[in-house]
Amino acid sequence: MNAATATATLATVLDPAERGHHRLAWLSTVDHKRIAILYLLTGLFFFVIGGLEALLMRLQLAVPNNHFLQPDTYNQLFTMHGTTMIFLVVMPLSFGLVNYFLPLQIGARDMAFPRLNALGFWLVPFGGILLHFSVLAGGAPAVGWFSYTPLSETPYSSTLGVDYWAVALFVLGIGSISFAINTIATVISRRAPGMTMRRLPLFTWINFVNAFIIILALPVLNAGLAMLLIDRQLEGHFFLPFHGGSAVLWQHIFWAFGHPEVYIMVLPAFGIVSEVIPVFSRKPIFGYEFVAGSTVAIAILSMSVWGHHMFTVGMGRAADSFFAITSLLIAIPTGVKVLSWTATMLGGRIRFDVPMLCCIAFLIQFLCAGITGISHAVVPLDWQTKNSYFLIAHFHFVVAGGILFALMAGVQYWFPKMSGRMLSERLGKWAFWLMVLGFNMTFIIQHFLGLYGMPRRVFTYPDLPHWAWMNMLSTAGAFFMAAASLILVWNLVVSFFRGKIAGDNPWNAWTLEWATTSPPPHENFDALPPIRSRRPLWDIANPDRPDPVVGKDTSEIESPDKNKVGILTFILSEAGFFAVLLLAYLFFYARPQPGPGPRELAVERTLVFSLCLFASSFTFWRSEIALSKRHRGSMLGWLALTIALGGVFLIGQGIEYWKLFQTGVDVSTNLFATTFFTLTGFHGLHVLFGLVALLIFLWLAWQGDFALGRVSAFAAAGYYWHFVDIVWVFVLLTVYILPLLR
Amino acid sequence: MTTYQFFTTAWRWNSTLLLFCALALVGYFLAFRRRGRPAYVGAALVVFLFALISPVNALADGYLFSAHMVQHILLVLIVPALLLLSLPRSFALPRPLTAFTHPFMGWIAGVGAMWLWHAPALCNAATTSRTVSAIQTTSLLLMGSVFWWQVLAPHDAERLSPAAGIVYLFTACTACSILGIILTFAPVSICSVYQHPVDRLGMLGTIRGSWGLTSERDQQIGGLLMWVPMCLIYLTAILAQLARWHSDPVPQTEESNA
Repeated sequence: MNAATATATLATVLDPAERGHHRLAWLSTVDHKRIAILYLLTGLFFFVIGGLEALLMRLQLAVPNNHFLQPDTYNQLFTMHGTTMIFLVVMPLSFGLVNYFLPLQIGARDMAFPRLNALGFWLVPFGGILLHFSVLAGGAPAVGWFSYTPLSETPYSSTLGVDYWAVALFVLGIGSISFAINTIATVISRRAPGMTMRRLPLFTWINFVNAFIIILALPVLNAGLAMLLIDRQLEGHFFLPFHGGSAVLWQHIFWAFGHPEVYIMVLPAFGIVSEVIPVFSRKPIFGYEFVAGSTVAIAILSMSVWGHHMFTVGMGRAADSFFAITSLLIAIPTGVKVLSWTATMLGGRIRFDVPMLCCIAFLIQFLCAGITGISHAVVPLDWQTKNSYFLIAHFHFVVAGGILFALMAGVQYWFPKMSGRMLSERLGKWAFWLMVLGFNMTFIIQHFLGLYGMPRRVFTYPDLPHWAWMNMLSTAGAFFMAAASLILVWNLVVSFFRGKIAGDNPWNAWTLEWATTSPPPHENFDALPPIRSRRPLWDIANPDRPDPVVGKDTSEIESPDKNKVGILTFILSEAGFFAVLLLAYLFFYARPQPGPGPRELAVERTLVFSLCLFASSFTFWRSEIALSKRHRGSMLGWLALTIALGGVFLIGQGIEYWKLFQTGVDVSTNLFATTFFTLTGFHGLHVLFGLVALLIFLWLAWQGDFALGRVSAFAAAGYYWHFVDIVWVFVLLTVYILPLLR
Repeated sequence: MTTYQFFTTAWRWNSTLLLFCALALVGYFLAFRRRGRPAYVGAALVVFLFALISPVNALADGYLFSAHMVQHILLVLIVPALLLLSLPRSFALPRPLTAFTHPFMGWIAGVGAMWLWHAPALCNAATTSRTVSAIQTTSLLLMGSVFWWQVLAPHDAERLSPAAGIVYLFTACTACSILGIILTFAPVSICSVYQHPVDRLGMLGTIRGSWGLTSERDQQIGGLLMWVPMCLIYLTAILAQLARWHSDPVPQTEESNA
């Protein structure tokens, strides 16, 4: 689809009044439905790129001793393929579906923060461009999507590829976090009357839980990326062993993010499947509470299983055993889900439309992926298969066989709602069966390739018995997948213009998104049906036998202030970021390196300046009180004093830095300096951002913006400011006070 | 001493403890008579005694940091939880003690019990001095009870709402996991007494030799115990909160007043 047709296509779904400036209307939109479409189109675009990269790799591997690609090109391709598929395909596609349907499912008009939503989306193309710009700036990264140190450090990867990779992921991480904050705030404070938390559709509930994993996991990656960039750009020493750094620390940080990331990708898929299977089985989901509860168990367990990615690193038998146990445990809640889905189908009147077919394929393939996944929890087996094609087969069964099929189900299930038209069943079935055939052809055989000993991350291989035909089969399968993708895209395009008119509820589904027109009007709903159960549309269609009322029979719901929810979740993510920096500081503090150490720091002076910072929390609180009493002058005065105190603290930090620079200590001096400047520097940056925010508030208050005593946004800024102070308590204790106790 | 000899002989039948438990049991039955839940109080006392007289205690007494951690977890999480569960629904907290029922207090007590007693100086002192050790045991039981009160108080009205309970438990779990992570990956010994134990029972050779527990690995296991199994206890409690939340609306009305 070229740009001109794309814009023309999009123009047809605009309001008549917007036709005149349709390009701008899409670029400047803050409507969650349009942002969702943009997410989906971006994801689809990068899917084509990532898919082409995969095809090139499979062509190279089709025959032994091939020279179609250079080794370095091959390395760049598998790095870009992995990074693209995870961060630019799966995440945007699932974020797109969530963005469109989560507000609709809870009867909301939009996401809680529409402009933040737009920011979150635009960071995706920005990150994508940054990542791909590396190709022009000396070569794409060639270190794998995990970017293991020290290979990804300057001595071994001297081009800018890794830097662009790190910055791109940092930007994408910020986008994901903003999306998660928005999701949580929307679910908590934007539900329609009657839509209590216990009545949420499973897609909404699962993505609500998923947002918390994003909030907690992405900051860990971002902290790691910041450290990697400091190593590469400022000659820091975090991950470089010959200056006392720890290459394994990077792996811990990366997988502390990386394993939750698997669930960040797979939970939206679970959400889709939990919507589609009941509708096409004509039965309510079996064990709603178990599906909902097991999601929480998965979310929590996912944070403590990362070690199973590192069994081959040599963490020691003790650590291996514990991680093996948690990895085995996580199979229980996942198994509960699979059981619920199959039990939902049992005895149902199953309709084999394309979305349902995709879900059935998902179930079977994801089960296989889970079984090979469990096998990796067994440490000795993991040692044998971790670096072979067996692992490639395993995680492609998760990501392609599981997540991709669920996303296909989701897109085809909700396409009628988004476009107002039905997809062609005939083309859909062709695409589905070709995809099933291609996917299984490509990846089943790779299990055996791995067991036959073919290592991963190699650009070619010798002509050993069976390797050649197995690889050829796999490559052939990849082309079937490509053909299926083409048919799928063709189906989407053709049906968008010429599909049958869908009507409001073509699948006879039961959740609120089907209670409005297809596509929904700008404000989503004209009127909402009464919500007393988890299937409001079933209750309307079957007034004589409605679902039992869930919880108290009331339409009253609590909707806390969205600003408060938003800032608290933001603070949660920031706390994760600082926790990683603090832990890294402590880790290196425990084994001092030659050169400057904590004794170079001026403790007394810092304590005095710290008092200023702590006092500023008090003055801000006074200012808030003045605002609630509408004493404008007093509020302005206390706020100005807060800003002044924050400024004084920053000056104090400046003096500290200046003195250190004077004695020749900077980030690159030794590990103490690297960790010290990173930790205090990021804190200082946060104080600076806080000051900018407070200055904006001061200016607004000066203009009379708070004359009406609207305290919610002001209080939110206050939470952030207090948080920055609390972080400093921890930094002060760790960096300045801890050495005094020795 | 071989492993078999050790596990058969290292039981320390401390008469004070046994007497204390017997008195507690009698007191419990006098106070609650038929209203009590004897199974829970029995379990609590068994776990309590197991932690303090079994070979776990002998190992925790200067040999193994990981054994100390097992003891720590039993005393701060398991025993207080069972004790609170043993209270009858009609139990009312004496008025002066209601000062300890603020959620913030509970959280600080639960997390503080973990962090405070693993400060190197306190950890060493508790291992070497009997008095400090007794103080530690008592404080762990008390702090554990204050922590669990928010979740397991006999009246639904005194408990946190399920959503708040989940936040409470999850943040506590995170705070303890961070300590566990620090202990697991610390390149230095946190509780240095365990580095060079005084070999009172002649067990050191067996521990270091046939058990293969060097002091580094021992500390790592201790950290992992705090990190993983403890998190699973919190996770169980979180799932119980979810079950309570999804249970029928009758208890729900009580909670909304809480």
